[in-house]
Amino acid sequence: MKRLKYKDTKDAYLFLAPSLVIFITLVIFPILFSLVLSFTKWNFLSGFSGIQFVGLENFKRMTSDRYFKQAIINTFIYALTVVPLSILLALILAYVMNTAVFFKKTLRLCFFIPYISSTVALAAVFKYLFREINGPINLFLANVIRMQSLPQWFTDDRLNKIPIITLLIWTSIGYELIIYMASLSNISHSLYEAADIDGASGATKFLKITIPLISPTTFYLVIVRMIATFKLFTAVSIMTMGTSARANTTMVVRIYGDAFGAYKFGYASAEAWVLFVIILGITLIQFWGQRKWVHY
Amino acid sequence: MGPLLNVKQAYEARSGKNKKFMISLLKTIILAVFAICFMLPLLWMFSSSLKGPTEVFGYPMKWIPKTIRWSNYVKVWTDPDIPFLRLYYNSLFIVIFSIIGCLLTSSLAGYAFAKMDFAGKDILFMLLLATMMIPSQVTIIPRFMLFKMIGLYNTHWALILPSWFSVTAIFLLRQTYHSLPNELIDAAVIDGCSHRIIWLRVLLPLTKPALVSLMVLQFISGWNEYLSAIVFLLDKSLYTVSQGVQYYYASEAQEFNFTMAAATSAVIPIIILFISAQKYFIEGIASSGMKE
Repeated sequence: MKRLKYKDTKDAYLFLAPSLVIFITLVIFPILFSLVLSFTKWNFLSGFSGIQFVGLENFKRMTSDRYFKQAIINTFIYALTVVPLSILLALILAYVMNTAVFFKKTLRLCFFIPYISSTVALAAVFKYLFREINGPINLFLANVIRMQSLPQWFTDDRLNKIPIITLLIWTSIGYELIIYMASLSNISHSLYEAADIDGASGATKFLKITIPLISPTTFYLVIVRMIATFKLFTAVSIMTMGTSARANTTMVVRIYGDAFGAYKFGYASAEAWVLFVIILGITLIQFWGQRKWVHY
Repeated sequence: MGPLLNVKQAYEARSGKNKKFMISLLKTIILAVFAICFMLPLLWMFSSSLKGPTEVFGYPMKWIPKTIRWSNYVKVWTDPDIPFLRLYYNSLFIVIFSIIGCLLTSSLAGYAFAKMDFAGKDILFMLLLATMMIPSQVTIIPRFMLFKMIGLYNTHWALILPSWFSVTAIFLLRQTYHSLPNELIDAAVIDGCSHRIIWLRVLLPLTKPALVSLMVLQFISGWNEYLSAIVFLLDKSLYTVSQGVQYYYASEAQEFNFTMAAATSAVIPIIILFISAQKYFIEGIASSGMKE
């Protein structure tokens, strides 16, 4: 039976209408408008008449904006520590969990709960855990490890990213673990059996069979988690509250502050587009780089 | 020779089994130690939520406080300024209407993309996928202005409406409809059914597992949403649960035990939901990405 071409066009757009209405008003229009805004200087409080076109002024100003540049660097630091570390840990955990262990479901639950829990709540908990005076971690270091000079987790410039990084690793492992477990269970047992006959050790099997075969999953996770980390807001916003905040902020925290703290809508829009270009660039680089290490 | 070999084989088989059992046990123990470490921050949160105001950072640290103060929860839940009872109501309101709208619009769109022929199908689908790359921070400023103009700023609908369009949900449901046989449609067409009837009566009921997975995903992301809540909701009476935790956390009074009671209250419903729908959670998450 040969179908008529495009026979459903009218019906199809009726089906798509609800999604398209929201898509056009709350996605497409805002994207275009924000692009226009990024070339203007506009304080929202001055009303629409206050919009001034300034060309590339916002982007030029950004190159001398110390705080935004620091935020870009911080965002990269978080992405380049959290993503590899959490993925590596998740892979090891998933590898062990996919072999014979007891209480698999209960264990999976424990690793997964931080991922689904409210980030605001968890960030507040971590801020308290790392508290410098009598925080549980410093109490442990002082009384069990007998450390003499306790780390100043929030005031020491060299250390003050560690609480945030720890929190982010802790909350992202659950997701990566689930994805890895699904992917590992698809690897055929016969490959490992063949390697056993050849006398391969556990480490060799892991490095030569497991790692290459799950590389598409690793690639997917790196992309997804990188993008997520570049959009980081809640955890950093909560944890830097009340401390030397600016030193640790991320791009989205800056964008939020410039937009809804200072009402500099033009400048904040320009910053948001820089964020988009960075995310796009990183994603493209990874797609280009995957040829070297991803085996399909 | 024969019987002796059998005995030897049996012995080796059993010791092999024992060895396997011991390895499994050892792995379980190692993983359990890790899992307990993973749970410690949450246990500390719960323990602190039952302490007195000065006990939270008291020395020596106690996991079980001398007097267990459930009264912290009473305070947080019935606070005259921002009672968690109302915050729960607000968050549930947002989450429920987000879920209903998202499932409805995405089911319709997913069906159209999977089972209908229409002009512009491929281009439209590519366009939807392409906008996924654009971070929501780009769109939040114009959205803020739009909602201010049409009077949705400072209402829950400012959080609900954007969730009625979800590329992830459309994509997931498109896959689901794709996997359903076309014969179902052809048979219904012969019976003279329109697409509306086919979708509603024949195919929609078959996508239930995918819908439940999406529901669960939408529930977590809606429940934990923070950025759009602080941008769009101004009145304390409209606050979500996340904002409530932030309110205690940032308050001048620094009542750590109340903050932890608020945090525990925010986390508990998600954990309960997860335990009761673990299967759907895992399936949903394995088939799509989510959370910032």
